[in-house]
Amino acid sequence: MADVEFRKVRKAWGKVVGVADLDLSIRAGEFVSLLGPSGCGKTTTLRMLAGLEFPTSGEIRIGGRTVNDLAPGQRDIAMVFQSYALYPHMTVEENIAYPLKKRGVPRGERGPMVARVAEMLQLGPLLGRKPRELSGGQQQRVALGRALVRDPKVFLLDEPLSNLDAKLRGHMRAELVELHRRLGRTMVYVTHDQLEAMTMSDRIAILEGGVLQQFAPPQEVYREPANRFVAGFIGTPSMNLIDGQLAQTGGRWRFEAPGLALELPALPPGTPGGEACLGLRPEHIAFGSGPLEARVALVEETGHETIVVVELPGGLRLTGRTAPGMALRPGEALRIAPDAAQAHLFAAGPSGRRLNAPAAGPGRAAASVSVPASAAHAGEPS
Amino acid sequence: MARRVLFNLFAWSIVLAVAFPLFWMIVTSVKPQFELFRRPPTFLPDTVTFEHYRTLLARTNFMIYFRNSVILSTVTTFVVVFLATLGAYSLVRFRYRGRESLAFLVLFTYLLPSVVLIIPLYLMLVSLGLSNTILSLVIAYTTFALPYALWLLRSFMAGVPEDLESAALVDGASRLGAFRDVILPQLLPGIISTALFTFILSWNEYLYALVLVNSDGARPLTTGVMSMLISAFNIEWSLLMAASVMMSVPLIVAFAFLQSYLTRGFGAGGVKG
Ligand SMILES: Nc1ncnc2c1ncn2[C@@H]1O[C@H](COP(=O)(O)OP(=O)(O)OP(=O)(O)O)[C@@H](O)[C@H]1O
Ligand SMILES: [Mg+2]
Repeated sequence: MADVEFRKVRKAWGKVVGVADLDLSIRAGEFVSLLGPSGCGKTTTLRMLAGLEFPTSGEIRIGGRTVNDLAPGQRDIAMVFQSYALYPHMTVEENIAYPLKKRGVPRGERGPMVARVAEMLQLGPLLGRKPRELSGGQQQRVALGRALVRDPKVFLLDEPLSNLDAKLRGHMRAELVELHRRLGRTMVYVTHDQLEAMTMSDRIAILEGGVLQQFAPPQEVYREPANRFVAGFIGTPSMNLIDGQLAQTGGRWRFEAPGLALELPALPPGTPGGEACLGLRPEHIAFGSGPLEARVALVEETGHETIVVVELPGGLRLTGRTAPGMALRPGEALRIAPDAAQAHLFAAGPSGRRLNAPAAGPGRAAASVSVPASAAHAGEPS
Repeated sequence: MARRVLFNLFAWSIVLAVAFPLFWMIVTSVKPQFELFRRPPTFLPDTVTFEHYRTLLARTNFMIYFRNSVILSTVTTFVVVFLATLGAYSLVRFRYRGRESLAFLVLFTYLLPSVVLIIPLYLMLVSLGLSNTILSLVIAYTTFALPYALWLLRSFMAGVPEDLESAALVDGASRLGAFRDVILPQLLPGIISTALFTFILSWNEYLYALVLVNSDGARPLTTGVMSMLISAFNIEWSLLMAASVMMSVPLIVAFAFLQSYLTRGFGAGGVKG
């Protein structure tokens, strides 16, 4: 059952398009992230869902009911703002109790409800303070508390962790996931941090320039990016995207770029030849042996893995990752083996759509660091 | 070092120049009549008397003028603050065609010298049958206090984060409820500054009061005291000074009470910068 639904929703201010013809259907109890670079329309989407912004056209439904004409307070939602938006002149306790007060919960019942939330978020000792007397993390918890004190149909969270330091962010991420599991409520979570989206969500909606690029579970977004934008956006280090020529000779597909030629697995019938873009995840390039010559340009040790940037004879640069301990020095020559079976193929252009079916088999373990040895013979020397 | 001394000397001479008339006003108001024009003048009065105050309160229209001024300034302040708060809210929060031009038009009316407006305004008030009433002055003062108040409050309003209001709306407040619960408390320093500004403006206004009102029942203090104590032949210095002291007291009291509000500023910290 769809709990939250956008139907052809569009928001424009004059010529500026915030969100373009968005179709999105979120199931009840689902944790959905809206992910995308700054200015892609995440906040606008969320504010339209909250009723704080009117769609230029289209329909928004919550729980099967069209809410276009409902005020924010009538939509049975709770929201955590990017800026927290705590009421500065109220104490923490008054802040958390405010939604109850506005919904006519009798004074006597508010106390226990606030206390329950305060305990859950460890806010007990802070209840008497004003927001300005709290640290960023504490403010964030109060904002969360104000949303949790009611039991709304949908929770909307706009980058609630973006102001926290890395450690607290990791901690709060786990807390939120746990909270979602416990409450079983629909949550729409806005973020521009792909790690948050990948680790927390049931499904991720990736936006760019106000246009929905892909809406799928995290693993699928990673394994089967729907287009070139998603391919480049998801994954760190990001996917190698190589512009080149796609050609079919005698029933076999071949991709060529300066210094690189790859024999590809069969493509769907009707695939156009000519200009195309090949995508290779860093973990799908094997180092040490293989058909391609390359020179090490850059080595980055992160501790649990090593990021290697190599340069092909044609000047093309590829990023790869290997297990730590592989002694590589810049300038060193080595052979590499791209795993053509794992390659993604996109139409030419910055947002070219996906051309090939996703790879099957063991390679589907998306974040695997090691490269199967069998991949080494996939490429042909040029 | 020498520059510091020089600077201090300079600053103190300015303070003295500003404060001395006030000091002299108070001193004169408590000097007995015969001491007023003694030469050389006495800095501190030999004998302190409150007879001028008594005369003023008991035997003149001073209390009527005072009451008129209080009513006039209070009503004007309420009207101006009310309109300016709502106007500023509209100018900052709502989007509509011509919003910016409207704001500048308002500023432009403020830049017009008030002398230019006085005759048309007078004629309009006469045709409305309002001449010689306190209400006519309320209307007149509102016309020139409102533009400035609107601009002042507009900048204060712009400093209140929009997310606060959005949060209140999501939490179930109506627009008016969100305005009262969240925006108004944030706006309080701005409202108090605006109110003080308007009150002082109306309290001290002279020109419009002179032109629009010439009956004792509706006269405010400024023109009332003038016409009562200053004639072509004589100035009642001691009474004038006593009246001046009493005219200044309400403003000084108001400032003393509201000063902490004016300097306290916003309750920052609820929203990240
Ligand atoms: N009130 C407005 N008037 C005109 N354009 C707007 C308005 N609000 C947002 N926009 C534009 O709409 C686009 C989407 O904005 P939005 O705030 O949704 O981005 P976002 O994805 O939340 O970005 P961020 O990650 O920086 O918060 C931006 O290009 C922005 O400039
Ligand atoms: Mg945003």
